[in-house]
Amino acid sequence: MAAHGGRIGPSAARLPRWWERALTPERIAPVVAGAFLLAVWELYVRTQLPDFVATPSGIVMAIPATLAAPSFWSDTFVSLGAIVQGVAIGTLAGILVGVAMGRVREVDWFLSTYIRALYALPLIALVPIVIIWVGYQPAARLTIVVISAFLPVAVTTADGTRAIPKEYLDVGRMFGAKAHHVWFGIALPTALPHIVAGIELGFARGITNAIAVEVLASVRGMGMSVFEKSGQLNENASLVYVLALAIFAVGIRTLMVRSRQRLAPWYSR
Amino acid sequence: MKAADGTAAFWQRVRRLRSTRAGWIRVACYASSIALLLGVWQALGRSFGVLFVPFTTTMSQLWEMLQGGPLVPALGVSAKLYGVTLAIDIVVGVTVGLVLARMKLIAAAFEPYVYVLYATPTISLVPFISVMFGFEFWSRVLVAVVISIFPILLGTLEGARSIPRQHLDVAAIFGSNERQIWRDVILPYVAPYAMTGIKQSIALAMVGTLVAEFFLNPDGVAAVLLQGTTIIDTASVLAVTIFVAAMAVALVGIGELIERYLVRWRRTAVG
Repeated sequence: MAAHGGRIGPSAARLPRWWERALTPERIAPVVAGAFLLAVWELYVRTQLPDFVATPSGIVMAIPATLAAPSFWSDTFVSLGAIVQGVAIGTLAGILVGVAMGRVREVDWFLSTYIRALYALPLIALVPIVIIWVGYQPAARLTIVVISAFLPVAVTTADGTRAIPKEYLDVGRMFGAKAHHVWFGIALPTALPHIVAGIELGFARGITNAIAVEVLASVRGMGMSVFEKSGQLNENASLVYVLALAIFAVGIRTLMVRSRQRLAPWYSR
Repeated sequence: MKAADGTAAFWQRVRRLRSTRAGWIRVACYASSIALLLGVWQALGRSFGVLFVPFTTTMSQLWEMLQGGPLVPALGVSAKLYGVTLAIDIVVGVTVGLVLARMKLIAAAFEPYVYVLYATPTISLVPFISVMFGFEFWSRVLVAVVISIFPILLGTLEGARSIPRQHLDVAAIFGSNERQIWRDVILPYVAPYAMTGIKQSIALAMVGTLVAEFFLNPDGVAAVLLQGTTIIDTASVLAVTIFVAAMAVALVGIGELIERYLVRWRRTAVG
């Protein structure tokens, strides 16, 4: 017994080694499934479809050449720059309008018809009219991204600031809170998880709609390059761009989920 | 001093009016906001030339387009794509969600990829899908389904995973067979979760339909919009956009009604 370093009884059976803990079926399964999916894709294209169709191996081979081209970096810079800038503007405006709607009934009644109608509308349907108004240029992309972020943030902020627990307001009033204290000191922090959810939605819609504008209005950027490279039968390079977009989208999503967990650990979904 | 009293009294009256006449104020707010929009629209429409048209022109243009011309058949094309997409979303999404909830290992295997595909902007996969599967109807359906199926799938999965153990145990104690457990426990429990997903998918299926029509050889409503954009026919583009918006609001409203009906017995639990 003593030779076992003080551990007693049958539980002294050795702890699982690190590789046994790491290699649980739940951990192995995604790797196997991923390899399986890639293999099916590669084999299907090689045996059934023409050469130019993208394959996993082809995409990997195309990565160095695509990343070496300066146009890849300028495309990435303008597209992601416009998306981040547009979401930032839309978020700020959405928070201001949302807090006003959530805290003042009259503002809500005045604006909700339009905000909720536009929120329900697939924003991609607005792309043509925005192109007519703003023109075939990058400003159309920025406009659409701003709208894409503004609407979900305004709606979630309004919902979040409306549903403040009454106790919070009572405590605020006891300490003599002024209206702006209630708005930005109580309502806004309480609504933060809602707002983050709105920003997440805004990013998702903003990315999609930015790509839509680029393709429909011939604005230079990643989305246009995806379609252009595919049109030139350079499918592998096209999918390198898709991969970059996917990494950005997944990264943003992870960032949002993390920040929501940090800001409000009690809030799920 | 007197002035200060006056302002205080004024604000008090405002506060009292706000609570006693809330209904009237509400009606007034809605009415004035709509009147303001229509007024501004009408006024701007007259002064902006080609790029903008007054509200009345837009509405008469819409009326004319609904009487005949390319919009009506285009609506049929889009409605068919939308209907097929939503039907596939619901059937496949609910089925796969339930299956994944029951098969833990398969779920663990494919879940990361489902989330990556969900986060990836599907619109960027359109060229790839068109090269793999062509530009025809089922290729469009595939694009629209990939855009809109995930809320149903993930909602059902979440619902099926959160069924309390006790519910199944009670059913088992009373001798329910597999079919009864599904009918009396699992499906009623999952229905509201699935419906929350379906409500989102009703809206997303419209996005999917439009994306498929915009980017896989223009067709349907999207083709009408693009045609109008190319020749800067602002009246037509505005009219169709308004029509699509009205359809979207109506469809989302119907989804909300169905959801409210399904969750009526657990509204307190949902909160």
